[in-house]
Amino acid sequence: MARKRYLISVFLVLAAALTGAFYFSYRSAEPVRLTLRFHPFVGDEALLLNQVRYANPGGEGSFKVRDFQFFISNIRLVANSAEFLEPESYHLARFDGDDGTYVIVLENVPREDYRRIEFGIGVDPAANGSIASVGDLDPNGRMAWSWEVGYKFVLFEGGLVLEDTQYPLVYHVGFDENYKLVSIALDNSLFDRQDPSVDFRTDVLQMFKGTQTLDMAALPNVKFDRADAKLLADNYAGLVSKCTSPCTR
Amino acid sequence: MIRIVLIAAGLSAAMFLAFCDGVFAARSGDPTPLSDFSVPFVFGRFQPPSDNPLTREAVELGRRLFYDPRLSGNNTVSCSTCHMQHLAFTDGKRTGVGVSGEPLAFNSMSLANLMWGPRHFFWNGRVASLEEQALVPIQHPDEMAQDLGELVDELAEEEEYREQFDVAYGKINPQTITAALASFLRTLVSSNSRYDQFLRGEIALSEREELGRKLFMAHPDVKANQRGGNCIDCHSQFLTSGFNTRFDGFTNNGLDAEEDLPAGLQEVTGKPEHRGLFKVPTLRNIALTAPYMHDGRFNTLEQVLAHYNVGIKVSSTLSPLILEADNLSKASQDRVSLNLSEDEAVAIIAFLHTLTDEEFVAAEQFSNPFLAE
Repeated sequence: MARKRYLISVFLVLAAALTGAFYFSYRSAEPVRLTLRFHPFVGDEALLLNQVRYANPGGEGSFKVRDFQFFISNIRLVANSAEFLEPESYHLARFDGDDGTYVIVLENVPREDYRRIEFGIGVDPAANGSIASVGDLDPNGRMAWSWEVGYKFVLFEGGLVLEDTQYPLVYHVGFDENYKLVSIALDNSLFDRQDPSVDFRTDVLQMFKGTQTLDMAALPNVKFDRADAKLLADNYAGLVSKCTSPCTR
Repeated sequence: MIRIVLIAAGLSAAMFLAFCDGVFAARSGDPTPLSDFSVPFVFGRFQPPSDNPLTREAVELGRRLFYDPRLSGNNTVSCSTCHMQHLAFTDGKRTGVGVSGEPLAFNSMSLANLMWGPRHFFWNGRVASLEEQALVPIQHPDEMAQDLGELVDELAEEEEYREQFDVAYGKINPQTITAALASFLRTLVSSNSRYDQFLRGEIALSEREELGRKLFMAHPDVKANQRGGNCIDCHSQFLTSGFNTRFDGFTNNGLDAEEDLPAGLQEVTGKPEHRGLFKVPTLRNIALTAPYMHDGRFNTLEQVLAHYNVGIKVSSTLSPLILEADNLSKASQDRVSLNLSEDEAVAIIAFLHTLTDEEFVAAEQFSNPFLAE
């Protein structure tokens, strides 16, 4: 009798262990949703649209940002032996929503040991030469120049105030050669969390003082001049970085 | 477990359908989905609302309502009074005139390709759907001055309407009236202009039209030796309408100086940066839809081009793209000018004429059904 009871106990323990193991493997195999939050800054200050409050990085005067939008494309999560590619991955980041941040949610991400996230700023050449509506790409949208030229990758429109006069600032940067790949390391423990999320700092000022500091008064607009466009693009390669201290405002 | 969930989901779907069936039990038949509805690829995606799918019966009903003067309080004004097909659904007037005879505040907008472009209707964007839109002019004291309850009673008196509403929606009420009107409006697709034929590779544009097209599609850049008419900054390349994202399809195009700047979009959003911004309209059939601008202040396309070329008035919310655009090196900020040559302005107008769609303005399925009855 005692022996029988013993066997039942063993069986129950085994069953519980097995259930637990199954549950655990089930849970770890279950895809997660990963939230990416982009917080806009102008240098150390949070970006506030339509306010003349930021110093011209390379010269006199203060500037305001009326609109700032850019494409985040081909998001990829890279693990040692696996990677996740978001399908139709074209996102138009903009910061005029209610809380001023831009959020991308990656659905159905397999739980892997991802070490870094990669994405492009701009539109890859294949998509830039196409008129298909994929993701946020829209040939009738604000970021489209025309099918002969492709998309604006980064759009900055605003004004520079110099001695009480406001001058327009127009920076529309596109062209295949200005598609910039960004690679950012992820925390090791990121995917241990139930609802993983990553916060990014998006610093508009990088466009004007990334690798080369620009005077907005001397270069108030950039559109189709390839050299000028490259100058801004080399700068905006550093537009997005991981928040080291809390980025929330 | 998964199987059980699926079965349960299937059962609840079946129950839901059965329930719906009960709600619409009064229907004499199911409406027919509009299967032969197609639009050019270059227009992009479109999506009628899931609670008002395009059906043959809804569209046909909406067409009758659109042309029916009983929609107005004194039975003299229909939607088609201000939206006449041969003028691409405008009225040729500076601003519309309804039952009161008082001129309205705004120019009557052309109705074409309404499923694309800004998702806000009226010049100041005050409603966010076509379903909501139709309720406004019907009740406005100067436009149609109709009481919605009376309208429902009036329509219910007629057997044909009773049958049409029955099949299309199962009932007559203000919501199904505007749902039907919205369905008809969604079918008003203009896609056979010479520009469309050019895009399909069927015809070539003339040299002048092609110059105009290139100028239309370009922001000027002196440094890069590119001349431009700057149209594309607000009017998208294929639809020629404003942009559909948020309020990107609204702009201050320099019609008024700071002290005269009307509220525009600010009336809707309350934001000071939206003062003086108005909806960017489609330019499809623009040669037929004079006078121009939200208040109909320009009678000709030549006047419109002259405005953009030398008539821009500066204000705090003026688009920086307009303020900055110049085909000559900017000598000073005192005078805003595109500095297009006379030939270039003429070429842009020639291109604008390629947007006229003769088939659209004559199409039988958009015409007054009461004339055929």
